[in-house]
Amino acid sequence: MKGSRQAVLIPAWNEDATVGDVVRRIREFGSFDVIVIDDASTDQTAACSIASGATVLSLAVNLGAWGATQTGIRFALEKGYNRVITMDADGQHPPSAIPELLAPLGDGYADMVIGSCPGRGSQARKMAWRFFQGMTGLDIEDLTSGFRAYSLPAMELLASRKATLLEYQDIGVLLLLIHSGLRIKEVQVPMHPRQSGSSKVFGSWLKVAEYLVLNLILCISHLAKERRGLSHAGELL
Amino acid sequence: MRSLLSYQWTTAIIGLIIALIIFLLIRRDILHIKRSFWWIGIAILVVIMGFFPVLIDKIGILLGVNYPPVLILTLSIGFILVKILSMDLERSHQERILRRLTQKIAILENLLESAKASEKPNRENHDHKRHL
Repeated sequence: MKGSRQAVLIPAWNEDATVGDVVRRIREFGSFDVIVIDDASTDQTAACSIASGATVLSLAVNLGAWGATQTGIRFALEKGYNRVITMDADGQHPPSAIPELLAPLGDGYADMVIGSCPGRGSQARKMAWRFFQGMTGLDIEDLTSGFRAYSLPAMELLASRKATLLEYQDIGVLLLLIHSGLRIKEVQVPMHPRQSGSSKVFGSWLKVAEYLVLNLILCISHLAKERRGLSHAGELL
Repeated sequence: MRSLLSYQWTTAIIGLIIALIIFLLIRRDILHIKRSFWWIGIAILVVIMGFFPVLIDKIGILLGVNYPPVLILTLSIGFILVKILSMDLERSHQERILRRLTQKIAILENLLESAKASEKPNRENHDHKRHL
């Protein structure tokens, strides 16, 4: 789209084994500005990212994947970008799928596009997805995908204070966008297996349990809001 | 054994000690004045209840509590829960501020580094011209 400025945001916490390669592959694929948000890593994540040509934002305190992503969105707005793509630092997301994510934004069909790969993940994770789909009413198959594209209105909303206390980038972010009247679209993309390390969110059973309980509380607390929203929509109709 | 003080004086003295501690903490700049409202309020309540224990009996009867001291315990637990909840609300507020500040520092650090980097060639160019 003419006049659009887009950047790729990569939140990274101790990902020096892969982040350099990920940045290089993105820059080889297209003329994207790549911004790595180093989430208070204790390894060489920042140095590897700089060596590969990325702009690096170094957080003094570990804020988690969503806190790092929001930092990137705030920086992108400051620098005048009007679209951002978020990708994981572990090499799961192929840069070749970026145009597919950007297309619905350019056509004005969506404010946020999720690069979805429902084939990935264990049976347990799929069960959790289905459960939260039912709880939230969100018609999205891959709730946890970090491969996403955001339009300017979505960026402005997600850079705001009300998105700062979200713990994860999935359900909370999606509910905030939906309740603010923004549109979400899902496109199927291929994903590679993780190059190294393990999931930061689903690293242990305890973390999985914490994730499930926190998201369950989030869903229940938003139920009333959703009902109010639906009844309001009904009045408009 | 005969008691030294009546129940009335014991609670009144506890209330006065709490109030005194609060004022001392504020005086030494250890407790923020905004946080003192709650504790001063509690201290005043304890003093009043200490001097006029009959009040709690009357309120207890009004609220249908057969044994009025239970009302004091129930109210105390209720106040403590409200206080803990308000502390968590405050913590959440501070967490939001801390996160946004951390983000802002990272952004400003990058902008500062970029400004320094772009200033360096300009200064070198300027120095070179001066030498010429």
